[in-house]
Amino acid sequence: METHVFLRQIEDQLLVYNRDNDVYSIQTINLTKVFKKRKHKGIFGFLKKKAEKETSESSKDVTVALDHVNSEIRSGELFGLLGPNGAGKTTLVKCLSTILIPDEGTAIVNGFDIRKQTSLVRASLGLVVGGERTLYWKLTARDNLMYFASLYKMPRREAKDRVDELLALMNLSDRADERLEDYSTGMRQKIAVARALLHDPPILLLDEPTLGLDPTFSRQIRNQIRELCKKEGRTILLATHYMKEADELCDRVAIINDGKIAAIDTPERLKAMVKENELIEVTCHNPPHDTENYLRPLCPDVEIITLIRGDEAKGMPSRIKLIGGNAEKHVGTVVDALRKKNAQITSVNISMPTLEDAFIKITGAKLAEGGAT
Amino acid sequence: MIKASLDESPLRANFFVVWSEVVKNLKFLMAYPVIFVFWTIFPFFWFLTFIFQGQAIVGGLQSASFAEIAGTPEYIPFIILGAILNGYVLTSLYGVGESIRREAYQGTLDYLLSSPCNKAFILIGKAVSESISSTVYAVIQLIVCIVFFGIELTLGVIMPIILILILMILGLYGIALMLAALSLQFKQAHDLAHTLEYVFYLFSPVRYPVQALPFWAQIIGRFLPLTYALIAVRSLVLLKQNFPAIYEQIFLLFVIDVLAIFLGFYLFNWMEKRTKKSGSISQF
Repeated sequence: METHVFLRQIEDQLLVYNRDNDVYSIQTINLTKVFKKRKHKGIFGFLKKKAEKETSESSKDVTVALDHVNSEIRSGELFGLLGPNGAGKTTLVKCLSTILIPDEGTAIVNGFDIRKQTSLVRASLGLVVGGERTLYWKLTARDNLMYFASLYKMPRREAKDRVDELLALMNLSDRADERLEDYSTGMRQKIAVARALLHDPPILLLDEPTLGLDPTFSRQIRNQIRELCKKEGRTILLATHYMKEADELCDRVAIINDGKIAAIDTPERLKAMVKENELIEVTCHNPPHDTENYLRPLCPDVEIITLIRGDEAKGMPSRIKLIGGNAEKHVGTVVDALRKKNAQITSVNISMPTLEDAFIKITGAKLAEGGAT
Repeated sequence: MIKASLDESPLRANFFVVWSEVVKNLKFLMAYPVIFVFWTIFPFFWFLTFIFQGQAIVGGLQSASFAEIAGTPEYIPFIILGAILNGYVLTSLYGVGESIRREAYQGTLDYLLSSPCNKAFILIGKAVSESISSTVYAVIQLIVCIVFFGIELTLGVIMPIILILILMILGLYGIALMLAALSLQFKQAHDLAHTLEYVFYLFSPVRYPVQALPFWAQIIGRFLPLTYALIAVRSLVLLKQNFPAIYEQIFLLFVIDVLAIFLGFYLFNWMEKRTKKSGSISQF
């Protein structure tokens, strides 16, 4: 299809989207992807008899990377895909970006079907997947961006201006003509993000964009992601296994494990599912003798109130723990009540439930570096 | 929001894709200057071995028995022309065929495949950049041959030779595309290219006249564009024949080009879909 025709179609679609707030930028409908596991049969595997081969064929396993995934991402939303390594995040991103063809189901991206309207889907997307290795290290930053601009059929002059604009946005204008092999990991990742923005797409698919970056660069990239969504109105799908990143950035988060979407909601609501993990720990001297009974009527919804008495003779303070049931909202009441009883409070620690707590509760697995355990 | 001028002509946009691919590949080449040393020396080494071998067997620079089947007693210019044209085979097979694997290895293949441009133009860009480097080597070889081995090239011969070269290169692009397609599936283009390289050596008249081959080998040779290109170029340069004498070769080269390019693109698109389905597209 000619460039100008499909770009016009994209813009028409966007007009429709702007008219209707309830439509989605991305919809997945029973999206399924299965990979065959290939077992190594040994150097002389080809000599195996037919019967043996059939046995080994039957034992050939499959990995269901995506299992009938249904999700909807609203226009202008920063949507997180949270899961451990191997959960299916990258497969979902690759299916949406047409790098992989799903085995079942489909997805609608910017109004276009990923199976039937691949060119239109591709023109609607900016992609960051695979990190810094996905650039040409022997070329300069400018050469890299100019090259990828050509793949998006941008007019040469407009591409030049856009590359300058993006290099300035990434604070890399002064190093634009250096080869990427001389860049740091964080700088290369910034170029990878710049590449995704070259054709100014309405939708960005970001797969682990801060993986392997130091805290400074991670923060810079996160700030940019936030601005790209909130200030520029782009729809962003952020696949990550960093809970804090998802919690900090995303409007809504889908928890994915073993290729299935286990839950989709705002980070706050997901964390609210594990209110039992809320913890207040008050460290004080001379707490009331009947602390549990004294505090219980003041915070009836807190699940556990417990006192671990310290050795006052040795100057060791006591610790009062309130666990679960919106414990945090009772902090003021508890502190005032203890002061009335002449307790000398030395510290108050509040521990809120995290997305990891929610993930563990929802999936029964633990979000670890090496995957769900 | 999407940046692209609606009045940008698709032809210009596609030309920009090809141009960017050529620039990218030539910049890669410049990034490893030692390759120029290799490619400058290697072609001479290649045909010098056959010249020395020929001299040892025949005992001179001309051979009467060679003249009986080749039509010319001068086997040195015969082999040199074979080496020059064969250079295009090497760069096409290794360059284009291996480039897809290289993109997968670098991690950039996903980005090429997820871009909205027609992948054919990326592949054309890769092929053109390989041909540019091949032509530079060929010109160097030819200058040396004119100076040291007395090959005569008149202006009347140069234009038909360019036409033959273009037709041969197009056919080679088709074969290289098939190789690139196979490398998507098998993740190993080098060994396939190596095998094909020897198919060309054996069945095309690179080192010997086609008449030296047994009949069955001559039949296989007829499917290779290099065979017709070598016969045509040698007819013009060594046998001093006129352009109409090579019409048949030109026509057959054209037929092979159409078939090879069609099959090349068909196979590449088919393999791309197949590997996207199996999930092995990004593997290397």
